Amino acid sequence: MTARVAVTGLGCVSALGQTVTSNWSRLKAGESGIRTLALVHPDIERMAMNGPAAKMDGLDTSAVDAYAGRKVTAQLDPVAAYAVVATHEALADSGLIDDKAALADASIIYGGASGGNTTIEESYVRILVKGHSGVHPLTIPKRMSSAAVSHLSMIFGVKGLAFAIASACSSSAHAIAEAAHMVRAGRTKVAIAGGADATLTFGAWHGWLALQAMAPDTCRPFSIDRKGMVLGEGAATVVLEDLDHAKARGATVYGEVIGVGASSDAGHLTAPSAEGAGRAVRGAYADAGIAHDTPALVSAHGTGTPLNDKTETEVMRGVLGGDLARHRVIATKAAHGHLLGAGGAIEFLLGLVALKEGVAPPILNYLGPDPECDLPITLGASEPFEAEALVSNSFAFGGLNSVLIATRG
Amino acid sequence: MPVSRDDVLDVIAEESLVERSALTPDATLESLGIQSLDIISIVFALEDKFGIVLEQSEFEGVTTVDQLLDVIVNKANAAGSDASGAGAAAKT
Repeated sequence: MTARVAVTGLGCVSALGQTVTSNWSRLKAGESGIRTLALVHPDIERMAMNGPAAKMDGLDTSAVDAYAGRKVTAQLDPVAAYAVVATHEALADSGLIDDKAALADASIIYGGASGGNTTIEESYVRILVKGHSGVHPLTIPKRMSSAAVSHLSMIFGVKGLAFAIASACSSSAHAIAEAAHMVRAGRTKVAIAGGADATLTFGAWHGWLALQAMAPDTCRPFSIDRKGMVLGEGAATVVLEDLDHAKARGATVYGEVIGVGASSDAGHLTAPSAEGAGRAVRGAYADAGIAHDTPALVSAHGTGTPLNDKTETEVMRGVLGGDLARHRVIATKAAHGHLLGAGGAIEFLLGLVALKEGVAPPILNYLGPDPECDLPITLGASEPFEAEALVSNSFAFGGLNSVLIATRG
Repeated sequence: MPVSRDDVLDVIAEESLVERSALTPDATLESLGIQSLDIISIVFALEDKFGIVLEQSEFEGVTTVDQLLDVIVNKANAAGSDASGAGAAAKT
């Protein structure tokens, strides 16, 4: 017999703010954290960041400082700082933050697309631009892909299995999926899952520019004349827990992860595949054991790139057919930007809050219908929408797909 | 530009996250929780701020705040124009 997987804690950080409450209230109000950046590198005059981005400014680490000491947070790369702030909120929310025994037995599976970009770039600037002979001794431990996981383990005293998952923009969705499998299998009672990314750095920005994936104006999911994605940054953490364990301690249950589906396109490094992504959606429905006509809130991958949104529409129409009309598709990247390795987790988290509240937040920046993106969406302002399930899609570069299905708690 | 003991104390306080008022001359680095990694962070910040280049070996035997200040301030002011010259060259 497998355990049921409850979601008992939520925490997030994005350009919409830090805390789930601020992210959700702004999302629901139709607000966006995207603004125009116009920055010049402090040490390299010809290196600039100009364009729309959902940048997280002024991270408040005071809650973690009080919990673990200021010295702990001061040494973190932004990616790890986002992770510990979001996870502190999630653990406090779950009621487990002071339960040292439960945390010691817990596990961490946390996603990230690219590690400590700020640390990597600072080390290059020291040598190549400033002419110094060496870099800080913490350069490697701060930049490694698993740095955030190690800090979560150290700060919160988690002593079970802990590791990072890297699958580009699906990283944190894969992390939640695998954590759910661990809870189901009885390998852990409590799993901390999610992801973080902090790639609004000059070097990473130029990488995205070269890829020609970024919109010059803003993020317009499923809209006519959409021109690309808008980078964001931040973290999102969910606490997954054996439902019986959660009930026994009287925890608030936000929802239950009932299905996960994963697939790989085995196709192209950047172009999505409707066939590959469709297998992940079908797999998630089969795992969840719910019918395709069960009214669902679909938290789309919805990047706002011409190709993703067209392909995602093809996927959802292909899998759900006429049943799609009973569902509602939301696309929150227009509000918090593309959080890359944290994207799947924040979209699952906000989708779960939307499901629980019975509200579909609007898709922002919509210019008009695209016949190739014919989906049931909400525009303008939030609408009441009573669904029985959440379907959260993540379709990453390199063809790595993860789909999560949850129900209300 | 001469570097004052106050300038350096500001950097030490900021980088090692120790209250400025706790940085009394006789206080030991150990009692303040200032470890070798903190000294490296202090040195890096001084390099960026004042163009002073310091080697780790120069801190051997340093145990108090006053001794730390001596090493840094003496090096900075002895190097004088050399230090600022190195900083300017690195920008090109």
